[in-house]
Amino acid sequence: MDIKAFKDQLFKQGQTQGFDDIELYYESSEGLNCQLDLGEVDQFSTQEKIGVSLRGNYQGKIGYAYTEKIDETSIDFLIENAIENAKIIEEKEQNEIYAGDGAYEQMNFVSNEISQLTNDEIISFLKDFDRELYAADERVVGTNFFQVQRQDLKTAMFNTQGLELEDHKNFLFFFLMVIVKENDVKKSGTYVNVVHDWSKLDAKTCAEEAVAEAVSYLNPKAVESDNYPVVLRYDAVSSLLATFTSNFSAETAHKGLSKLKDKVGEKIAGDNITLIDDPFLENGLGSRTFDGEGVGSKRLTVVDNGSLTTLFHNRKTAKKDGMETTGHASRASYKSSIGVEPSNFYLNPGTKSYEELVKSVDEGIIITDLQGLHSGVNPVSGDFSLAANGYYVKDGKQQYATNLMTVAGNFYDLLNQVREVGSDLTFKGSTVGAPSLLVDGLSITVE
Amino acid sequence: MLSKSVVQDVISQALQTGGDFAEVFVEDTFKNNISLQSGIIDKSLSGRDFGVGIRVYKGFRSAYTYTTDFSRDSLLKTAKNAAQAIEGEGQLKASELKSERAQQLHPILQMPQTVEKARKVAVMKNASNIATSYHDAISQVVVRYMDEERNVLIANSDGKFIEDQQVHSRLAISAVASNESDMETGSYGPGRLQGFEFMENMDLNHYAKEAARIAVTNLGADPCPSGKFPVVIDNEFGGVIFHEACGHGLEATSVAKGKSVFSNQIGQRVAPDIVTYIDDGTIKNEWGSINIDDEGNPTQKNVLIENGILKGYLVDQLNGRIMDTPSTGSGRRESYRYAPTSRMTNTYIANGESTPEEIIANTEDGIYAKYMGGGSVNPATGDYNFAVNEAYLVKNGKIDRPVRGATLIGNGPKSLQAVDMVGNNLGHGAGMCGSLSGSIPVNVGQPTLRVSEITVGGRKEEA
Repeated sequence: MDIKAFKDQLFKQGQTQGFDDIELYYESSEGLNCQLDLGEVDQFSTQEKIGVSLRGNYQGKIGYAYTEKIDETSIDFLIENAIENAKIIEEKEQNEIYAGDGAYEQMNFVSNEISQLTNDEIISFLKDFDRELYAADERVVGTNFFQVQRQDLKTAMFNTQGLELEDHKNFLFFFLMVIVKENDVKKSGTYVNVVHDWSKLDAKTCAEEAVAEAVSYLNPKAVESDNYPVVLRYDAVSSLLATFTSNFSAETAHKGLSKLKDKVGEKIAGDNITLIDDPFLENGLGSRTFDGEGVGSKRLTVVDNGSLTTLFHNRKTAKKDGMETTGHASRASYKSSIGVEPSNFYLNPGTKSYEELVKSVDEGIIITDLQGLHSGVNPVSGDFSLAANGYYVKDGKQQYATNLMTVAGNFYDLLNQVREVGSDLTFKGSTVGAPSLLVDGLSITVE
Repeated sequence: MLSKSVVQDVISQALQTGGDFAEVFVEDTFKNNISLQSGIIDKSLSGRDFGVGIRVYKGFRSAYTYTTDFSRDSLLKTAKNAAQAIEGEGQLKASELKSERAQQLHPILQMPQTVEKARKVAVMKNASNIATSYHDAISQVVVRYMDEERNVLIANSDGKFIEDQQVHSRLAISAVASNESDMETGSYGPGRLQGFEFMENMDLNHYAKEAARIAVTNLGADPCPSGKFPVVIDNEFGGVIFHEACGHGLEATSVAKGKSVFSNQIGQRVAPDIVTYIDDGTIKNEWGSINIDDEGNPTQKNVLIENGILKGYLVDQLNGRIMDTPSTGSGRRESYRYAPTSRMTNTYIANGESTPEEIIANTEDGIYAKYMGGGSVNPATGDYNFAVNEAYLVKNGKIDRPVRGATLIGNGPKSLQAVDMVGNNLGHGAGMCGSLSGSIPVNVGQPTLRVSEITVGGRKEEA
């Protein structure tokens, strides 16, 4: 059954069975995933997937249901379940079906270079990459999760009020862990790269970067546990910011789970902190021209030199607060109901390079990598206690890797403890990006 | 779900480039998710996941493709895509398919799809009321209800054509306690491989109160000190440490390629003799239980470590080829979107002889981790980190005051060697385990036990 016929029948049958308005959200994706092990293709997989969800207004309540099977039985399934779901909803405010606002950027997030790559080209690059890893350093003993993923993703939205929208994007994603060994101790380094410009990619440079990271963790030493000045490298900052991103959502605030609840208009961070959401980044994983309710996307400054200017809103949360939506209705996929989320969210970079940040530290720690972010944080209070990897710094120079550390602090305090913001803004395979930061007052425990 | 003749054609197509084994996995899953917050139902979502995964092997290599388009043409094209990634010659003749139905080891009395949503809502409201009224400091309660009916068909070139049904039910209760300056959370998420009867028969009072009690306890707790301590880890979900730190290292996925610290160690001592570690998918209606794995092989009880000696691994078919061992019924996957690989089911440390009271009484200055949170482990190094959701200081053999924000870090195989007391109160806790083949329901379990030294990270300034 083709999707247009499916939509027409669904809308017709749904309205007959009592829906006032109906929206069909559609996602199709095509992908390739290739894993290399010991220099050979270990796993190769390709995918084609379609999923749709119905969202409909039934007697003043919104009901949802989704399916991956596009056939007549699913039309009945969607309508029956969406009606039953609408009936049990008790919340008064609803994400109503939206007629559209006409203010849509026309953008295409597809790289033709990436979509035209053949399987053989991709595999041959992976094999070069693998060879270069072993050539880069004799201590390289293996890899883990060495893979490339290509995704081509279309999202579309149609509703009975005449709205028709579509976004299209693609990306190529490399991930691997390089394992190095010296004196019988193994260490690993993670390499992540989301590629938009294939022609600029060089296997040797990528391999050297990946290996340098892994090797830098060899021969770690114990360091006195203390409160040190800390250079949080961009990847550690991004993962921390990503963990606390939902605290900037009005939905989280309305649930009473964000301390930013009544802080709009107030200072919540140091003057050097500016947080921006930009839906139009050319190679942003979260780029989009419309949000999960069909509202046109816009660039938004959330924290402006330390002041909280707004929270992220969808139409429902905005209505509750008596304001306009910021266009941040999220739809993680057709499987999820509407929430609130940023598109590409980042901490605005400063002027000093990473090297300059390190140089300004007499004695301190560099943290490159945080672990346990799904468990070692209290998203409500902002407290975190996380396993971390990094280096010891003395007299402005990186000395050696430290034994596994834990770093403990509080996210809200941290926003006020940043001495210097780096210039090296990076999105490392994520929709959240950040530059490196020089921070005071984090408690470091070393194993 | 798909006719035998279509499946037979798809298997033949998949073998056309010289593959020596082909498999078709069909899944039709129905799900319901309902959420409640501040006493009212705010979200309810139903869905149907449907798709077909096709896998081809040649020797130790494999290719996997999947599609949601179940037309014959699309399936043949998907099989062809898989075959194209295999380089070989000749065509293996697939065996004739023989239909069977997996033996149901875990009775399901009330199919969730047939239960009115209003009854599900009633259970949620009850849980919410119990947690909310536990204490004045409880400021928010969120309850999530989830059920899933997963229908699968697994067919392969060895003539297998087996159907199975798995039904899961789970309730997750989280409570927030707050005062003027702080907010703390507590949660409990019981789940079973069972129908709606699980929801109606469970001890809701216990689970909802525990969630609220943890939140309130943490609200009054001091920051945890940091340093090296003996750590007493309580039973049930406490087993998550050894799940991450040892269980994953016993999966053929890492063993087969010699990447695990446990590779080539069968018959060797890997733990003190008080440690026996078992994976058992046959335990009746447990959250991590199955009838057959996602390669169509029956589940079984696998003794991994017996009295400290490594006895076995968790093996799927493909890694079994590399290791030259039969499958242990451990090939699992989240859905048709993943090729299966070796995974755990219900994995636990077996009972020892100490009582939990004796373990505490023998601990002079340590940490008691009553409820563990999540964590992760680096498979290459064995280094792990875990959050503790509810922790106490132990002073002079007695449980002292609660502390919050504790994280345990260490190395899995080393911590296993450092287990020095094992209790006699084995319990299991439900969790979701994420790995190469996606996120699957597993139980972790253990009796109360003690590790002689773990590095604890906390926020308290002086160590």
